Amino acid sequence: MRRHRTRSIRARVLALVLGAAMVLWAGAATFTWVNARHELDELLDAHLAQSAALLVAQQLPEFEEHQGIDAPVLHRYAPRVAFQVFHEGRLAVRSVNAPMAPMLDPAAAGKNEFRSVRIDHDAWRVFATRGAASDVLVLVAEKLDARADILTAVLRSTLGPSLILLPLLGLALWWSVRRGLKPIDDIGRALAARPAGDFSAIDRHDAPAELTPMLDALDSLFERMAALLETERRFTADAAHELRTPLSAIRAQAQVALAESDPELRQRALSATVQGCDRAARLMDQLLALSRLDAQASSAGQLVKFAPLVRDVVAALAPGALDKQQDLRFESAVGERALRGDAQLLSVLVRNIAGNAVRYAPRGATILVGLALAADPDRLMLTVENSGDMPGPEALARLGDRFYRVLGTDEPGSGLGLSIVRRIAQLHGASVEFAQSARLGGLQVTVNFPATP
Amino acid sequence: MRILLAEDDALLGDGLRAGLRQQGFQVDWVRTGDAAERELRAQPYAAAVLDLGLPVMDGMDVLAAVRRAGVRLPVLVLTARDAVPDRVRGLNGGADDYVVKPVDLDELAARLRALVRRSHGVAQESLRVGELELDPAARSVTHQGRPVMLAAREFDLLHALMLNAGRVMTREQLEQHLYSWGQEVESNAIEVHVHHLRRKLGTDVIRTIRGIGYTVGQQRP
Repeated sequence: MRRHRTRSIRARVLALVLGAAMVLWAGAATFTWVNARHELDELLDAHLAQSAALLVAQQLPEFEEHQGIDAPVLHRYAPRVAFQVFHEGRLAVRSVNAPMAPMLDPAAAGKNEFRSVRIDHDAWRVFATRGAASDVLVLVAEKLDARADILTAVLRSTLGPSLILLPLLGLALWWSVRRGLKPIDDIGRALAARPAGDFSAIDRHDAPAELTPMLDALDSLFERMAALLETERRFTADAAHELRTPLSAIRAQAQVALAESDPELRQRALSATVQGCDRAARLMDQLLALSRLDAQASSAGQLVKFAPLVRDVVAALAPGALDKQQDLRFESAVGERALRGDAQLLSVLVRNIAGNAVRYAPRGATILVGLALAADPDRLMLTVENSGDMPGPEALARLGDRFYRVLGTDEPGSGLGLSIVRRIAQLHGASVEFAQSARLGGLQVTVNFPATP
Repeated sequence: MRILLAEDDALLGDGLRAGLRQQGFQVDWVRTGDAAERELRAQPYAAAVLDLGLPVMDGMDVLAAVRRAGVRLPVLVLTARDAVPDRVRGLNGGADDYVVKPVDLDELAARLRALVRRSHGVAQESLRVGELELDPAARSVTHQGRPVMLAAREFDLLHALMLNAGRVMTREQLEQHLYSWGQEVESNAIEVHVHHLRRKLGTDVIRTIRGIGYTVGQQRP
């Protein structure tokens, strides 16, 4: 279960689209409102003006005395419209709903003028005009809340449907985004349903184009994992296979010991059994070391003084060399020079190479372990060479292959030592070379480390 | 019975040789494929134990070479390659048995004995010629129902003769069956052993064919 809220493409798209739609709609609504109001004002103002003009055109002599002519209510809006006609400053005609006092100050009113005023708590729009022939002032007014009502009605008719449409729009958008992003869901489900070891390429049948880079990367990842797993399987199978012979040897010797009556022969068989167990244990250690090295991507970045490290390893191997009357020597020309890497791994590397030399060189052989600096490219070289026989060119090419051991060797060994050396060298950016020693005639192993400044 | 052991691993080869010797076999041990091929073609062995992962020449190649050369002895392949295709390939390639390491020594010896007696056309483990009964596994002999004590070489000689019952075996053949390399053979060793056997079993069990060799049992037509 995901604890954190993942950013959903769907939610984001939906939010963006709906947000944009709402902003646009609000803009449109505002525009409609302002525009409709403006147009309405113009229309109704024109209507006022026209009414006034009609009144002016009436016969004036009939206005001699004050008469409260009640203009008939001709329209349902009529109570909201009022007019006053002044003749020589005196009220001549007015509509029923018009006050007695002039709605506008006559002195202040211009020729044709619109004014918004307050009369008895109501807001009115008043139009004043004077007659051209005689001193006639006509005031036509309209209650402003009439206009507001009309505006509301207009807006309701234009924007009302939108209000209903908006949720529908939202629903439609949600559904289409959902549908649109369904391929992503499908791919997600298909990947989740994959069994653990399945590294086949992803089915691109319904995949959207936007996902192509990601799917390509996934396919490439699967390929790499399949290759890695295959190497692992092969290694495990090789290792299991390699253990059969040592185990068989242990078993055979133990059975011989069980059946042997001669005490000397029995002793011999029992020590051979122990020898076999040691060999198997060493093989297991090498296998574990190698599998751990395989998993490692790079070595730690300590600064390691190499000469003291090599000296320690050679010192540890010296007793074994003495047993075989071998002449084991160490020469260093690198002083305090350090390498960047893992001290423990470097120790294993030196021990494997030098240990091999001690083990496989004949009795009385000379073994030289040397450290030197070289230029072009800048490097630190570890050289281990011995006198004695050289392996043939075919064997030379296969040194360092896993489990490969040069034939004719009676010495116990797992065949993994040089694989481990190769891997450690690789982790440190170093190369391993095998050649014939110019000085001693036997095998020469050189490890070239990049020199640290 | 003399068998050839082809195994490159020092510890295992040593263990197998000692163990098979304990079981009464004479064992010649080679450590490379070319030596195995050479010896199988040159010497008469009752059977061979062949490891497949041999240096110089792979066990399967050795097998193919000796079968092509007409060597018919039974071969038991002893190997770490345990996959079914490997087994099938081994058996199809001319092996008579295919055993995966690690192997029990008793089982190995029993399988070898079974292979050897089959190659002589014998069905039962115990060999019977007339009133003489020989059990190779137990290394015991009974004559007319009574157990007979025999020295190791005498047993081996009688075993060889009984495996080839009805056929005449020359002195050289018997020597080769009985002795592995590096063992000194007295020129009259066979005669001495036959003489001892006759003393213990009676004179009419082993017949001398003058100028040729010895035989037991009825002559085959």
